[in-house]
Amino acid sequence: MSVDQPSPSAVIVADVTRREIEAFLYLEARLADESRYAEWEALVTDDMHYWVPKGAADYDPATRLSYINDNRARLATRIRQLRTGLRHAQTPPSPMRRIISNIEILEADDAAGRFVVASNFVLYEVAAQATNELRIWPGRVTHHLRRVEGRLRMSKKIVELVTSELPQPNMAFLL
Amino acid sequence: MIADYAEVIHDDRVHGSLYSDPEVFDHEMDRIFRRGWVFVGHESEVPQPGDWVTRLIGLEPVIMVRGTDRTVRVLSNRCAHRGTALCWREKGNSRVFQCNYHGWTFGLDGSLRGVPHKAGFERERAELGLDRPRAVELYRGFVFANISGDAGPLSDHLGAGGRELIDRLCDLSPTGNIRLDAGWIGHRIQSNWKMWPESDEDGYHVDFVHISMLRTTQSYYQDTIVGGEASNNSRAVDHGGGHSELDMRPGYKSQLSWLGVTREKVTEYCNAMVRRYGEARANRLLWEGPPHAFIFPNLFLAELNLARVEPLGVNLTVHYHTAVQFEGVDDQFNRRLLRQSEAALGPGSFIVADDAVTAERMQTAFAGAAVGRSSNGFGAAWIDLSRGQKRERVDEQGRRIGHVSDEVTNRAFWRRYRQMMRAK
Ligand code: FES
Ligand SMILES: [Fe+2]
Repeated sequence: MSVDQPSPSAVIVADVTRREIEAFLYLEARLADESRYAEWEALVTDDMHYWVPKGAADYDPATRLSYINDNRARLATRIRQLRTGLRHAQTPPSPMRRIISNIEILEADDAAGRFVVASNFVLYEVAAQATNELRIWPGRVTHHLRRVEGRLRMSKKIVELVTSELPQPNMAFLL
Repeated sequence: MIADYAEVIHDDRVHGSLYSDPEVFDHEMDRIFRRGWVFVGHESEVPQPGDWVTRLIGLEPVIMVRGTDRTVRVLSNRCAHRGTALCWREKGNSRVFQCNYHGWTFGLDGSLRGVPHKAGFERERAELGLDRPRAVELYRGFVFANISGDAGPLSDHLGAGGRELIDRLCDLSPTGNIRLDAGWIGHRIQSNWKMWPESDEDGYHVDFVHISMLRTTQSYYQDTIVGGEASNNSRAVDHGGGHSELDMRPGYKSQLSWLGVTREKVTEYCNAMVRRYGEARANRLLWEGPPHAFIFPNLFLAELNLARVEPLGVNLTVHYHTAVQFEGVDDQFNRRLLRQSEAALGPGSFIVADDAVTAERMQTAFAGAAVGRSSNGFGAAWIDLSRGQKRERVDEQGRRIGHVSDEVTNRAFWRRYRQMMRAK
């Protein structure tokens, strides 16, 4: 996290909007935790960008390597691959649960239905495919949300792992 | 205790305890990573004087740095006073290296420049420069080091085969130069390091380990390495010296198959290639593409990616990769290579994530293998490497060649490994 840039401060939205946003984050987290790929994919917009940078998300992912840098088409491939049931890196799917907290709404345009939301998370994963160890994935997520036909969808999910400068074990599940 | 490595490494089978016995790992750190040549990095990673990256050679921490004289050096990352690591980030730029413990400073060439509170310093400064591998050599920008200095010249280690493999990659650049400046992604795998030279050059597993990838995407692998003996004529090649290749050239159906595009999509690149090499040679290069090859013991020329294998312990390895970037092409071209790299390698990739689980499953199965080493009954834990041994042939240059699905490449690795591990 770069220190020379001012950290964006949270904006205040109506309670009902905040609850709607929180409900989206919790649903998205639960579907990812339970490897419900199709239902999870239904939450993304046609211009979805799913990005797990190496280090802080302060670079242009077009110019440097990332762990994951999926545009909508590549994300569709990722989910198709998982849904073959033959993706060894997720066979069986990892049992997972994540805790989301410190939810801050960084940008809100309620009229246009656009929000940028940051939160902290800790994900607990059992690497059930081979080693059966418990892996702990702490980090921060930034969601870009958009209301589409009255419902929130995500157009961007950036996952900044606390450990992201270090070598990572398999992350073949939905982070 | 293994008295003679020939007892556990035969031409057609090796013992599983070689993946799980901590004593074997200690021997490897000495006999392969200290006494042999090891890939360290690429000079393009340190373009400016003072640029450095930190690496391990075996378990030895080193700094690869460009000096003010523009020479690339490899120095010990251990202060010559009492051993504190001088650099603890992945990369950086420094005018000097200053140790934070007692403030000794070292030049970019490793010489000791300053010692605080001089009166009590009773040695010559020249005696206490940073230690360094006794031999460091470059080949086309690839930096190799041999800690002990008694492995002979690098060109002998690479041999004609290893040099040709590196040439085939670099020659795909319209300037003949590649850059490794896209950053390294580390993939942490709970397996022994040797699963990686094996799996990276295994032409037998793609139908099975990568079946989910094959069912979801179209790629040139369908023509080159998938579908077994009837459907492709790619080759597994033992180049000697432990270097091996899955040679997919015979399987390509068109020019630029390896890039997944037609010529019209990358006209500027093709024109630049023709300008440098002439029509005939450019055509051949564009047809043949980059090698899929492993340079013993730790460098994977992964087509348009580069990977290095870093052993951290008998059960722990990091498989680092980066995208090859070409000089003399437009940004869009290099970005295509970045995107392909993210799809193919690393913890979130469509391909190597499945190899990682496979390696971890192998490691799990060998946890107790050392116990059964002297037995021939249940628990003996041998692995079979005989596939295609009878049908491999030797060509005019002495290379062993077999069908792409044959374990020619694995045998190549183990033959070299055995030779180095037997040297006392
Ligand atoms: S250990 Fe480096 S100066 Fe003392
Ligand atoms: Fe593989």
